[in-house]
Amino acid sequence: MKWIPNFNSSNSLRVIFVIAVFILLFLSSIAYKHNQDLNESSKLVMHTYEINIQLERLMSAIKDAETGQRGYIITRNARFLTPYIYSRDKVNTSFITLKKLTADNPRQQDNLQKLFKLITQRFVSFENCLKYSNPKTYDKRKLDNHMFGGRILMENIRFKVDEMNDIEKDFLKKRLKIYDSEISLSPLFSISLFLVALSFILLGYRQISRDFERLKIFNKKLLISSGLISESENIGKFSTWQWDLDSDKIDFSDNQFRLLGLEPRSFAPNKATLIKYVHPEDKESVAKAIDGILEKKHLPFVYYKIVRPDFEVRYFKTTGKLVTDQQGSKILLGINFDITDEHLLNIELQERNKELEKSNKELASFNHVASHDLQEPLRKIQTFISRVSSADKEVMSESGKNYITKIESSAKRMRVLIDDLLLFSRTNTTKKEFIKTNLNELLDNTESELAEIIEEKKAVIQRIGKLPKLSVIPYQIEQLFINLIGNSLKYSEPNVEPQISISSEKVNSADYPEILEQSIKKFHKITFTDNGMGFDPQFKETIFILFQRLHSKTDYPGTGIGLAICKKIVENHKGHIVADSTLGKGSIFTVFLPD
Amino acid sequence: MQKNALHILLADDDEDDRLFFKDAFEEIKIQTNVSFVHDGMQLMDHLMNTDNKLPDILFLDLNMPKKTGKECLIEIKKTDHLKDIIIAIYSTSSSEEDIEDTFIQGANIYIKKPSDFNTLKKIINEVVTVNWHYHTSGLNRDNFLLRLK
Repeated sequence: MKWIPNFNSSNSLRVIFVIAVFILLFLSSIAYKHNQDLNESSKLVMHTYEINIQLERLMSAIKDAETGQRGYIITRNARFLTPYIYSRDKVNTSFITLKKLTADNPRQQDNLQKLFKLITQRFVSFENCLKYSNPKTYDKRKLDNHMFGGRILMENIRFKVDEMNDIEKDFLKKRLKIYDSEISLSPLFSISLFLVALSFILLGYRQISRDFERLKIFNKKLLISSGLISESENIGKFSTWQWDLDSDKIDFSDNQFRLLGLEPRSFAPNKATLIKYVHPEDKESVAKAIDGILEKKHLPFVYYKIVRPDFEVRYFKTTGKLVTDQQGSKILLGINFDITDEHLLNIELQERNKELEKSNKELASFNHVASHDLQEPLRKIQTFISRVSSADKEVMSESGKNYITKIESSAKRMRVLIDDLLLFSRTNTTKKEFIKTNLNELLDNTESELAEIIEEKKAVIQRIGKLPKLSVIPYQIEQLFINLIGNSLKYSEPNVEPQISISSEKVNSADYPEILEQSIKKFHKITFTDNGMGFDPQFKETIFILFQRLHSKTDYPGTGIGLAICKKIVENHKGHIVADSTLGKGSIFTVFLPD
Repeated sequence: MQKNALHILLADDDEDDRLFFKDAFEEIKIQTNVSFVHDGMQLMDHLMNTDNKLPDILFLDLNMPKKTGKECLIEIKKTDHLKDIIIAIYSTSSSEEDIEDTFIQGANIYIKKPSDFNTLKKIINEVVTVNWHYHTSGLNRDNFLLRLK
């Protein structure tokens, strides 16, 4: 099945697509990781930032407490103590938050613990400062001591807070560094990978559109050819069916339905419908042929009848072949021909042939009648006349003798007629055996056959050149020569020695397009020229017609059959005979015989 | 009937032909015994009857009732004690087919019934006086049909 286009590109296309998909998957997984890391680091930054804020809050709460306390100590106004009182709660809140935030970091927890101790100490120092600044319990030395101690604690707290901030910052820095090292795809590489994938996809797209174009063209061609096939099936009165042996599916062409006298696609064909419409007489043989095809791989012509739904009987001829398609599945391809017209014509021809045979037989029996039954009484008449002896004639009257003579000549004439007629019908009915024969020998035979009359008339027969060797029916050609030369001798000018010249040459049929069979290229033209009395050229066609005579019976006894026999013989040889003449100047008979 | 005379048998259903034949034999003055049968059945009965002397020459007409000359010829040539009889076909027909058939079936000569009594006499004379041994050994398709010289 050469006509099916090869779409091999689909394989490379697949590879291209797989590669492109992998590249894209790779790129997107990297991007996802990137995103994930970014998320992580932002969370980390937030975390650090939050710790930072909480520490600052812690610090500011302590500072507020310190400032409030100072204000109170200086002014002894209780309103300055408010921030100091709330600062304790603020510190605790921040502290709890910080504890939660640093839950995953033991070092920070440790630091937080230390910070907490420092803050607790600071608040103890606050209490002491308040105690020794109170006018009731005022002690300047102790107040100074605690004030100084507070400052040192404050510095320690600040130091600790800074340390914790630093630790967080360090941690953040380290983590960011790790993320950076983990995915190190340069943007250039990512972009180039993306471009490769893109170009692959574009390549694929181009291939697809190209294949698609080709498919469109082939589809168009297929549509046209399937349309043509179905049209030619319609015109040619044939149809096709396919039987996929692997899937056991049978497909009829539209015309198959039409040939069966149905609308196309009027039923779904299967194995049973293949012989459903076959004439009951032929069902068995068709089923056998279908089974046979599976073994022999091809179906010789099967002839059978089908019966259409409207009971019309049609004659079918079917052939088939087992083929294997591109996919390797076995398909039985069948072709049905509706040969009803040919079949009926054939029957008619056969009948005509029978009629012809019958009439041929009748002709043959006529031959027999002519040759035997008709000759018998005539022969007896002649024999009885011959028995009338001269002694018998002596005693007869003159008129009686005269009548006897007339009976004799009539009987003789009838004999010639019967013989010639027989000869004529035999040139047609007897078997025609073509034998390669030297025509010169046939001419020799002819001359010895006519020796008596040639001698009597002192005729000269002159051969100009040699006659050819041809495949002919020998006795018929000899008869032809006898009739033609005999004619020349018979119709010679009185008191002139007959001269007959015979010549032969090879000619092309193309030079005689009106009279010669053009399918045969070369002919031999054999010419018989005499110096006889000739005939009026207006009769040159009619002289070949049966029983046509140009002279009275008494002048020249004849039957009008001789030249008709010549014509028949030449026609038997697919040749042609023509005559030409000028009255009183002799005649020319020309015979064309195929090479 | 003379003892050394040639024994001739004519099988012909035509009375006139039998008459011509008898007259001709009488006129040629050769010592012969001429006898006649009227059809093919009678001929075969005559030949099969061992009481009858077998003829030296059998003149056989082809177109006879009951059994045709050709059927008789085939039967005679199949029968051991008859197959050596000289058989001269004596028929009105001169068709190629008849001549060919009888030649193949083993007849010795083919005579076309003449339409002249004198010719008949000449023919009979020729047939009766021919050296049959010599003629038969040199027999071919061309000299099978009797032609008077």
